[in-house]
Amino acid sequence: MLWNFVKPILIFIPLAVIQLVVLPLFSIDGISPNLIVILICYFTLKFGQMYGTFLGFVLGLLLDLISGGLIGSFMFSFTVTGFLAGYFFNENKIEINVATYVFLIVVSLCGIVSSFLYTLISSPYDRLNILSLILEAGILPGLYTAFFALPIVIFSSKRELG
Amino acid sequence: MINFFRRILTEFKEYVLFVSLSIISFFILSLNEKPAIKKLRTFAFGNFALVNQVANYPLSIFKYDYSLRELEKENAKLMLEVNRLRKLSVENENLRSMLQFRDTCNFPLISADVISKLVNKMQGNFVINRGSNEGITIGMPVLNSKGLIGIVIDTTKDFSLVRTLYNVNLNVAVRIERLNIDGVLSWDGNKLIIKNIPSTYDVRIGDRVVTSDFSTIFPPKISIGIISEREQVPVGLLHNLTVKPFADINTVDNVFVLKIVPSKQINHLEMNLLKK
Repeated sequence: MLWNFVKPILIFIPLAVIQLVVLPLFSIDGISPNLIVILICYFTLKFGQMYGTFLGFVLGLLLDLISGGLIGSFMFSFTVTGFLAGYFFNENKIEINVATYVFLIVVSLCGIVSSFLYTLISSPYDRLNILSLILEAGILPGLYTAFFALPIVIFSSKRELG
Repeated sequence: MINFFRRILTEFKEYVLFVSLSIISFFILSLNEKPAIKKLRTFAFGNFALVNQVANYPLSIFKYDYSLRELEKENAKLMLEVNRLRKLSVENENLRSMLQFRDTCNFPLISADVISKLVNKMQGNFVINRGSNEGITIGMPVLNSKGLIGIVIDTTKDFSLVRTLYNVNLNVAVRIERLNIDGVLSWDGNKLIIKNIPSTYDVRIGDRVVTSDFSTIFPPKISIGIISEREQVPVGLLHNLTVKPFADINTVDNVFVLKIVPSKQINHLEMNLLKK
């Protein structure tokens, strides 16, 4: 059981480095994918909603600390991400969920909600424009994140077929 | 009663956990300015920056290569500019010595590399590979050869956390150079704006924006950008101006920290602007 928590944290370290060092090179007009959302979705679909909610909380805290941002913002948005992804957890369809287009849908949805909430929390209220917030801080980063989840689906489906 | 709570906890355990963790998140969010939380963040980003620095090394080879041509071009331009200014400088020094003025424009620059960035529409932050060992302290301005980039908000021995102009929590006192109009520049998530400038002023597209004399965080006359858009207001006396920064903040890799020590009392007052 403990290994189930240690494993994503160990994967988190190189992913966080890529997120902070490499992914800024792929950002388009300040919109960047979030690899940690993919990690949370993947493990939530494997181990369930409660696990995902707690994992989101822990990884959010770690990312807040190492990125120098507002502590609590990623924490909350990733907690919601884990909770939301948990609704797609099905014990009998674990392999199907992480190896098919379902995973992309889950990552897109969670990416949209996570990015939207993070921006909502970290912005002063007088500068919020709800429409641009939904599009630029929600939908676009969410879809961009899902694009980066594509290799996982391809790799997992090949392994399944093999 | 106990059975009732037990039943609630068993049946809705996912919701109970979710609500509890969300409450903890918001509680921690409200404690961001507490010294203990700041210390924890400084410790965490300072240590992780070491890992980022190692990962950044192979990438930096490509980055330097990319900016080399730009730097050479800039050097040539500066060389021409230096020649022109040298003569004026000698004359200026003679006049200053006659008036017994002190030299006030000799600010030491510390060069640094950006080693990690948090790309986000609202919270522009990055970590640089110079810290308190080089004499960097909180509140020092960060710039590059084109203009202002941000301000140091946290330091460890070897690294510093920089809040860029693309951060909703940074407000900068600025001046439109041609008209000497002062205002406050802030990031709204999409663009840099100077709010509430009287629409009767003859502000033109292309007017230069620099740091204001009123700011003690930033020394005056540091280039920031140009006016790129003027808001059209059919009614009302005030309008907003959009500023396009000279420095491409999202892609910047090499920066300079301006090593100035502002007045502590005034700095304390102005640093309140940085707080949310």
